[in-house]
Amino acid sequence: MTASFRTRAFGAALLLSAALAAGTAMAAKVAVITPYLAQPGTQFYVEAFEAAAKDEGWDVNVIDTKGDVAAVIARLEDAATQKVDAVVINVDPAQVEAGLAAVKDAGIPIVGMDAGASPYLVTNVTSNGYAMAADTAAYVANRIGGKGNVVMFVFDAFPPVQVRGVIADAVFGNNPDIKVLDRVTPDVSDGGIADSRAKMEAILAAHPDKGSIAAVWAAWDQPALGALQAIEAAGREDEGIVITGIDANPQAREAIAAGGNFEASMAQDFHGIGKAAAEAVAQTLGGKPPKSSVIYVPTRLITAGNVQD
Amino acid sequence: MLSALKTYGTLIGFLLVVAFFAIEIPDTFMTAKNWLNISQQVSMLAVVAFTMTIVMAMGDFDLSVGSMASLAGIVAALAFRDGQAVWMGVMLALVVGLLGGLLNGALIAYVGILPFVATLGTLTVYSGLAFLVSGGKTIFGRDIPQVFSGFARAGLPLSGTVSLPALTILAALVLAAVWFTLEQTAFGRRLYAIGGNKEAARLAGIRVKRLRFLAFGLSGLGAATAGLMYASRVASANPTQGSGLMLDAIAAVFLGMTMSEEGEPHVLATLVGVMILGVLGNGLTQMSIDSYVREVLIGTIIVLAVASSSLGKARG
Repeated sequence: MTASFRTRAFGAALLLSAALAAGTAMAAKVAVITPYLAQPGTQFYVEAFEAAAKDEGWDVNVIDTKGDVAAVIARLEDAATQKVDAVVINVDPAQVEAGLAAVKDAGIPIVGMDAGASPYLVTNVTSNGYAMAADTAAYVANRIGGKGNVVMFVFDAFPPVQVRGVIADAVFGNNPDIKVLDRVTPDVSDGGIADSRAKMEAILAAHPDKGSIAAVWAAWDQPALGALQAIEAAGREDEGIVITGIDANPQAREAIAAGGNFEASMAQDFHGIGKAAAEAVAQTLGGKPPKSSVIYVPTRLITAGNVQD
Repeated sequence: MLSALKTYGTLIGFLLVVAFFAIEIPDTFMTAKNWLNISQQVSMLAVVAFTMTIVMAMGDFDLSVGSMASLAGIVAALAFRDGQAVWMGVMLALVVGLLGGLLNGALIAYVGILPFVATLGTLTVYSGLAFLVSGGKTIFGRDIPQVFSGFARAGLPLSGTVSLPALTILAALVLAAVWFTLEQTAFGRRLYAIGGNKEAARLAGIRVKRLRFLAFGLSGLGAATAGLMYASRVASANPTQGSGLMLDAIAAVFLGMTMSEEGEPHVLATLVGVMILGVLGNGLTQMSIDSYVREVLIGTIIVLAVASSSLGKARG
């Protein structure tokens, strides 16, 4: 009894996977592998990539390892074994070199989608993180007249965000009357807003005087939103504290449109990154891979003036 | 016959999964290279699951293994950055693992805290320490010596391009050590006795507290070993990278437990559990099936396997 029940159960599971596998055509196979699909930015460019791939008639398999980097190596090895036609990664290449080597050995081209530079990649399509941080940090410095205390929210564990902090450090450091009050690394396990708000509340409590905090520069939008909530909850929204973020996610755009303290953010063209990555794959499959090891997709400063566009 | 089927149902299920992939992916699945790949892919999970089997033999859990794996990787990487020799960094990480495990053991055996609560607490502590000592940063690049990251890419050449990965060999050695400890020594038999009935074991003269203390030390040591393997494989150390190992390891042991008449965890059965998880990941990827389907399937298989074996017991 038990055995037949169990066999049936496995049978059902196997049928389920068989049903899901059906419909696999013999088109060019492209594996998109990332540990970060839960991040909104990643979702946008994966969607744009899939849309472009549909026009090309590719068979795309999106693999999300849910934060597990070693699993990315495992899935890269599987893609090499499966002999897909191209691989697209969205992860720091330095951490998955073992898998990239297996894919390259199998003669399969790899394109980075906001991944990082690596000799294993044909090219990496991304936004210029240095330029984005320079734009928002310069916006802050100019808005506060090159004078006052600035709170920074950074995240040095993730290389693409780390470079933003470095540039902001340089911009603020170049203004002798700007003092970086605190360089906060928020806990991002809950998405980053809640902990940033808590950290900002503590900083506000420690600096109760009006004008004691001139601006908040955040390396991405979530801490900027957390800081905004803290400032509003403390009733200090009329002190003219300038907040900037990076990424211009929907929640940030809403805050910027509302005309409060959150004044500016950078719009990465996620859609453009996905599309450009698909173009790079198409060129590579067509035998004419892109020459440059990095392809930058332009970004744009978003303020109340252009947020509605 | 029926009882054999009951005992080996999970194994039969595993073979069915293998047969299914072998038919669906005829060219690449049943190749030596792919199986060696799978063995390497599961090696880190396997080491955690094998040593988790030691504490689960006593009916206990260790929830802190994932964050201990992360912490061990960070400790080794920081030692490397500090200019220490590779063996020194590895030893330091293993010592941290052993001490962390023994701390769990002390809290559980001598202070008397439930394993679930004690290791939930230390899970948070070890994770916090990993963030604290690393400053929340990923340590990678030049800080990680070639000798260390090269280990995960090394292997014994078998024939042509195929080689037996070093990570697989290491996992096999841990398997042998845990099997010997649990199945061939008085220490192991006493752990199972504790798992059967703590009070009876104590009355029979077994030093329950000391054994639990030591068993958790081994689990911590295994977690640190897996953390080092992970850091070597990704050539970097990150304060969260081991966190996925804990639930998968417990799942693997549970899958293995369904193969035991008494519901006891045995390390060879744990190996089957680990292989089920690994083969599903590998095969479903090769079939281009959504990665989330793997999660649903694994969860379903665990529940079905455990449910059917307990139904069997209720009737028997």
